Amino acid sequence: MKIKEVAKYFSKVNPYLLSTLIVGFTALLCLPFSGTQSYHVISFILLFVVSVLATFLGIGPVFLAATLSALVWNFFFIPPHFTFHIARAEDILMFLMFFTIAILNGILTTRIRRQERLAREREIRTEVLFKLTSELSKSSGMDEVLRVAISEINKNFGFAPFFILQDGNEALFHSVWLQKNRELNQQEFDIANWVFNNCQKAGKFSTAFLTEKYSYYPLYGARVKPGVVVLELENALGEKEAYWETFLALISNALEREFLGELAQKVRFLDESDRLYKTLFNSISHELRIPVATILGSADTLISSKQDENTQKALFTEIFTASLRLNRLIENLLNMSRLESGRITVRLDWYDINDLFNKVSQDLNDELKPFNVKINLQEDMPLVKIDFGLMEQVLYNLLFNACQHAPATTSIGIDANYIEGELVIQVWDEGAGFPKNVINNVFDKFYRVNGSKTGGLGLGLSIVKGFIEAHKGTVSVENQKKGGAIFTIKIPSGSPDIINMQFDET
Amino acid sequence: MNENNTILVIDDELQIRRLLEITLSASGYKIIHSSNGKDGLIDAASHHPSLIILDLGLPDIDGQEVLSKLKEWYDKPVIVLSVRDSEEDIIKALDNGANDYLTKPFRSGELLARIRAALRYKPVKENEPVLEFETLIIDLPNRTVKKDGELLKLTSTEFSLLALLAKNQGRVLTHQYILKEVWGYSYTEQTQYLRVFVAQLRKKIENNPSKPVLLVTESGIGYRFGK
Repeated sequence: MKIKEVAKYFSKVNPYLLSTLIVGFTALLCLPFSGTQSYHVISFILLFVVSVLATFLGIGPVFLAATLSALVWNFFFIPPHFTFHIARAEDILMFLMFFTIAILNGILTTRIRRQERLAREREIRTEVLFKLTSELSKSSGMDEVLRVAISEINKNFGFAPFFILQDGNEALFHSVWLQKNRELNQQEFDIANWVFNNCQKAGKFSTAFLTEKYSYYPLYGARVKPGVVVLELENALGEKEAYWETFLALISNALEREFLGELAQKVRFLDESDRLYKTLFNSISHELRIPVATILGSADTLISSKQDENTQKALFTEIFTASLRLNRLIENLLNMSRLESGRITVRLDWYDINDLFNKVSQDLNDELKPFNVKINLQEDMPLVKIDFGLMEQVLYNLLFNACQHAPATTSIGIDANYIEGELVIQVWDEGAGFPKNVINNVFDKFYRVNGSKTGGLGLGLSIVKGFIEAHKGTVSVENQKKGGAIFTIKIPSGSPDIINMQFDET
Repeated sequence: MNENNTILVIDDELQIRRLLEITLSASGYKIIHSSNGKDGLIDAASHHPSLIILDLGLPDIDGQEVLSKLKEWYDKPVIVLSVRDSEEDIIKALDNGANDYLTKPFRSGELLARIRAALRYKPVKENEPVLEFETLIIDLPNRTVKKDGELLKLTSTEFSLLALLAKNQGRVLTHQYILKEVWGYSYTEQTQYLRVFVAQLRKKIENNPSKPVLLVTESGIGYRFGK
């Protein structure tokens, strides 16, 4: 630790001054031995000092130390003393050899040291890059990749990068990916765009737009250009440039991966919505055409030729039934679009649930005629807070479905209870129930059980679900053990404060 | 001229006007029609129809405004036609003085029944203190009600509610109107009171309280007494 502290301290001093001082100090220590015949020993001491200096000083100071020590040795220790003159030929040879050895020694040591330093740096960088790769591959989603990239760049380079990504259509997007509190002005954004389009770095310390405040680096992958990264650099990157670019390449790859992922998802989504659109279009046109064809055909027959009274009545009934069907279809489409557009406002008020059941069974009077309808209300059923119109539609759809699927003369039932702050309504029938593998799909929009005989768009139950959810309630469906489906609706509802009314009782 | 037979239809849809003309003429009514609010007001003033069928969605003036203007001088029944899912509009129209409402699409039979009921409707006069509905007899001055000849025990609020509804038989009364008339202005939001009293009243006056025929619910709007 101490050596390190000393080295740290020395590293702050001018290295040339340091090497001069150390050589001078050594010479001073050896000065008492000047004039003796041991000046060869002193040459070794000086060589040793130069070697030591070479282990922590750069090539310049070492060169200075070597030269200085050669001159000092000559001046103070080689006879005749205190002159640069050398008397004996062997001493001249000695001096030249000393000079050469000192310089070679110094240069070789610093070079080894530098290579060792480079190797160590390379090792650290490899490790950092490896860590970056693994961090990036672990992160999923654009935001997380960006977060990892920013924090790793910050940790390893010490600057705060600023990412601008493209919008998915090969154009830089100004807002979404901009990090908080940072913004580029139009000119800077134009440069970012130039960098993005040309895949070339620009700005400060580069070859284009040198006068800019920021440096701009393109992010590019094999198939997608994710965007541009902007830095505010104090100094040029220098030898770190290659390392930085490798770093960026890894980040680009990760971002590209995310972009490709998003693209694949978009394609899947488009496929899905295309399929949905086709289903919708086919079934709507089919569902509309059938009743329209019935009405047209019947009316045409009635107008163009004479029929007996029975035929006439049959045709009128057909027109009437087809109109009801059209009306239901339009009602469902309107409700669905109200739900889709989020324009459903629930107008809650206190209602007698009995009124609701009466209204719906009245509306479905004809449809319910062939069935044995069982309405079971809890004995002391309190008033409940619901939107009457929406709940009417919910029960209508459930009961209408039951009428369509259950065989005549079986029972169709509605049970209502108030359990722990919840209105629980169950609608059941004694039909075939739902096939097990599709029972979870029945609330999906435009879903129809395969091979279903009855018409319809597959909207009824999704409207039920939407309206119940608008009441903050839930709806579920099961097959009963004894056969037939049972729908269970649960809606949170308070019970009214009616204490104040007691005054009236006489 | 049999005044009791003229009906003015104010609706901008030609097909609806034609349908109403055919249906109503077949039932013996005389039809006048206007395709907008302005003409409607003029026709009402010049023909004095015995009933007006008014569409709320008119091209020139809002149907509600036509209704308010009509009600300044026209004292005969108005039946409002509106598209579905507009409870608020219906309530507003009833509060503005409409006697009844129908939502499009409607059944002709239903419309004819409403017209008959509305034409029968006459405000109860002072000299008509006893109202009879099949087996139910309501004696207004003595505040007593008899069913099948037996005196019913009604609380004073129950009686006020029943009297209000019975005096307006055949007419739809909104929740707010009933609450205001029976309980007072500060109670117009307390629908739960109304529901509880309606349920109590039904138990006393209806033959089958769970399938009421006298005190009928108009979903989301209010109540109507009798057919």
